[in-house]
Amino acid sequence: MKADGTIVARKLHKSFGSHEVLRGIDLSVKAGEISCIIGPSGSGKSTLLRCVNGLETVDRGVLRVNGEDFGYVEKDNAYHAVSPQRLAEQRSRVGMVFQQFNLFPNMTAENNVMSGPVLVKKIDRKLARERAQELLAQVGLDGCGHKYPAQLSGGQQQRVAIARALAMDPSIMLFDEPTSALDPELVGEVLAVMRDLAHHGMTMLLVTHEMAFARDVADEVLFMDEGVAVERGDAREVLANPREKRTQEFLERVL
Amino acid sequence: MSTTTIGSTTGRRPSSELLPENKKRITPKRPRDYACWAAAIAVVAGLLYTTVTNENYQWPVVFSYFTTESILDGLALTLVLTVVSMGLGVLLGLVLAVMRMSHQAPISGLARLYITFFRGTPVLVQLIFWFNIAALYPNVSIGIPFTDISTPVDVNTLMTPLTAAIVGLTLNEAAYMAEIIRGGFASVGRGQYEAADSLGMSGFTRLRHVIIPQTMPAIIPATGNQVIGMLKGTSLVSVLGVAELLNSAQSIYARTYQTIPLLIVASLWYLIMTMALSVPQSMIERRFSRSTRRPAAVATATKESLL
Repeated sequence: MKADGTIVARKLHKSFGSHEVLRGIDLSVKAGEISCIIGPSGSGKSTLLRCVNGLETVDRGVLRVNGEDFGYVEKDNAYHAVSPQRLAEQRSRVGMVFQQFNLFPNMTAENNVMSGPVLVKKIDRKLARERAQELLAQVGLDGCGHKYPAQLSGGQQQRVAIARALAMDPSIMLFDEPTSALDPELVGEVLAVMRDLAHHGMTMLLVTHEMAFARDVADEVLFMDEGVAVERGDAREVLANPREKRTQEFLERVL
Repeated sequence: MSTTTIGSTTGRRPSSELLPENKKRITPKRPRDYACWAAAIAVVAGLLYTTVTNENYQWPVVFSYFTTESILDGLALTLVLTVVSMGLGVLLGLVLAVMRMSHQAPISGLARLYITFFRGTPVLVQLIFWFNIAALYPNVSIGIPFTDISTPVDVNTLMTPLTAAIVGLTLNEAAYMAEIIRGGFASVGRGQYEAADSLGMSGFTRLRHVIIPQTMPAIIPATGNQVIGMLKGTSLVSVLGVAELLNSAQSIYARTYQTIPLLIVASLWYLIMTMALSVPQSMIERRFSRSTRRPAAVATATKESLL
């Protein structure tokens, strides 16, 4: 089982019906690197992110996650889909944080965090509970474990969601606009947790509109528009001095 | 300058209720508020007066038959029919719901056809139809396909009134339950599936621990309503001659011509049973209410659902 925390994509294509969402995207994230995908809505950012843990399948191209082909094995002249068990195993090493949190409303915060370890990894409940409490403390939610998602604020829910993803000990964390559904005053607490995670060397790939966060924390920025990578490079360089005209226009509008 | 300052603690103050900020706000009762009460009381009083004074109600007859043996036997059969038809209906409804949600178009199409047919025709017609099914298929043979093992069955003897009643009620109920169960699953958002998938859960674990617990708030209260509906619906099978509650009452008044008193006996029993069922029903509804005002209620309802 490889888990080197890298993501490599070459010439990824993905269509929904006749609409081609990804048109030959390249992506490379090294272990421990923080990479931000920015771009206008409908540019395929989220789709690209969702491909990396198999929530969307890739039509064509190479996608290697944690040093191995993701969801498919290359054999003879084709890529063959792996078994559901194998796919689930690959996914469990890639944590995902959603825009809408997607906590399980029928479980307490603690049980949400425990759900992966207990239900997937079959870890002893007692150990899983201790670990869940540690993780909740790490995201600043000490003592909130008994609460249900409906009793938590959006920012708290998103932090529980981060803890839930971390509980699987992933080597990569994906964030799909993690602060877009939050009230402005709650954005900071979630970004703080993510910043902390970045400093601990987690490989992170995130779709975000938080340009200040991207500038402060990210190593690399990928600007996407209409399914293609328009510009890619050092985060501060791209955000401060974009070379491409489309990047300049986009940044002018959002900054 | 005026000395009446708000919150002042010095000087002589009027008692606190007399301060403008503490005065009660009163909405005067309007004539229509009293008129509504008067009208309602008049209606109830009139009804009471006529039920007591009109001797055609024959209350003594009602009381004398209320707990007579054949009525109690009918009551028992009504309850058995409700439980059996509901139980089988839920099981078949679950199968239909799963078929209906299938990605295989022919399978979901079959379920849709079934649901359309059984919800689109009156249950009374369906009951009579099943009772007379022998006219359509007089003999069927039950056996193992591709072998010689089979037994011929005479449909006429198989389809007793009771069998026809259970078959008819079950098949009809299944169509409604299928839609209720499907609605329950439709109420769970796609994000829940994605969150479970992203943790690497298997399809079964996802269903068992994430999806099904979330379908219950939509399914259970609706099923409770179906049970109450089924209880009353069993009265339809009286036309097949099944000796349930209504039929038992009818058998008595066929002899004694005391039609109204015996219909009152049956109605009172139906009322008692539906009221008895509505108590747990409203408890269940409160427990599973998804009100955002009382997240604690949802919390206790689904506690221990994980793991």
